[in-house]
Amino acid sequence: MIKRFSLLLLVLSSVVTFGNAQIVDDNYEIEQQLLASTKQLNQFFKRFNGEENNRGDELEPGDRQYRNPRLRKRYLSMLFDEEYAQISKDLKDKFIDFTTNSDDPEYLGLRSDEWFAVVNTTFEYEGREEPMALYMQMQQEGLGYEWVISGVSFEKYKQMFNKQRGETKEFLHPMSHELDFMNLRKALVKEGSPESYTLADFQPDYLTLFLYEVKKGLLKFKNVNRISFHFFSLEGWYFTLNNFNRTGYNSGWLISDLTEINKPQKEQLLKLIYDKK
Amino acid sequence: MKNYITRLSITLGIICFLGINLSAQTAVDPNREKAIDSLALEKVKDLGKYISIIGNKDTQFSEATRVMGRAEELFAAGSEMGVSSLASEEVEYYKVREYFKRLMALNYDKVTIEWYDVQYISDLERQPDGKYVGVVTVYQKFEGKSGDLLKYKDTTKKDITIYVEKKSTQIAGRTVEFWDVILGDIRVSETST
Repeated sequence: MIKRFSLLLLVLSSVVTFGNAQIVDDNYEIEQQLLASTKQLNQFFKRFNGEENNRGDELEPGDRQYRNPRLRKRYLSMLFDEEYAQISKDLKDKFIDFTTNSDDPEYLGLRSDEWFAVVNTTFEYEGREEPMALYMQMQQEGLGYEWVISGVSFEKYKQMFNKQRGETKEFLHPMSHELDFMNLRKALVKEGSPESYTLADFQPDYLTLFLYEVKKGLLKFKNVNRISFHFFSLEGWYFTLNNFNRTGYNSGWLISDLTEINKPQKEQLLKLIYDKK
Repeated sequence: MKNYITRLSITLGIICFLGINLSAQTAVDPNREKAIDSLALEKVKDLGKYISIIGNKDTQFSEATRVMGRAEELFAAGSEMGVSSLASEEVEYYKVREYFKRLMALNYDKVTIEWYDVQYISDLERQPDGKYVGVVTVYQKFEGKSGDLLKYKDTTKKDITIYVEKKSTQIAGRTVEFWDVILGDIRVSETST
């Protein structure tokens, strides 16, 4: 895909300004900060891949600078949150060397494998506002692509299906069949623990429940509060992107967490992020 | 009428630039994408211009209403503005017309709306129905004064959805296809700058 800053600059220099005003010179500093900010995830990818120069102009694939490892190293070092993230310089350098390795460079884009968004939202549920995390990922569909909900994490659901095990759990005694399971009448009641009467490996499908409750109007969407992007796309690495809305030159979508991981650690981490046991 | 002529000439310009030999809703080639970008930016500029006029306290009510109509024409049906401030994570959602009305009704003697010379246009991505979608990011500075006293000011980031769709029209008996750009939902978030 072609990007456009050269075009933008051309257009901006030759056509009308917004409304009747351009910001005067004393806002130069702010404009420089806004230019430096990684304004969209799209721009994060461009900078990560070395597909735009330091003025924000898009580099064409034929350009000598396009995906140039030296340019990428410079850009990548600026794509980390410098205020809160506890990422050591050694780890950053190792990651940058890995991604810009001239024998096997790594690039990212919307269609990269193994990345997803965690969208922290607020829903109205049973008369109260409740937080819920939606797990979202990109999939191919029809003539293009779409974001879809792949899972949800909702404390109310977890509490609802907190199934007990062992000798203290509720159960249908092993001779229930002789009574035509008449004890189901006492088992399946409102506010009860019907999950107690399921197979040992029963796992509730929260997403189906979520969809059902949205359809029934029991869950009402209120707000998106925060978004983070989680990348497992680069083998042996995991990193998180968060949006930092602040003054200065280190703002926008930045890497807030970075760690080297092996396969078992990856599985553990995925479980943790997806809030699964 | 003048505006209509301007639009028509822009559309014809784009048609000429893109050529007429376009088949189906296929991938946007890089040169065409540049032309689409400039059309998208043109629409975003129009929107910026309209917002400044609607927000300006010197604008007559009838003129503001007319401009609101023009501004609405830039958008796909059902488009919304999602507005948030630094003070709260909560996003307020408004229909486009409602947003403009609120802007017009702001209780200041003088409102100044300016735009930073910083824009970012994403790549165009194809969605399942074959249309293309992108996001243009612009920054707006707002100041509201009562008398000479500055009552409120903010800088907002506006992430504006653009939909790009191939359409066709009849010109001198010939069917000519062209790419059209229409605006969609806008996320308005206050920045710390």
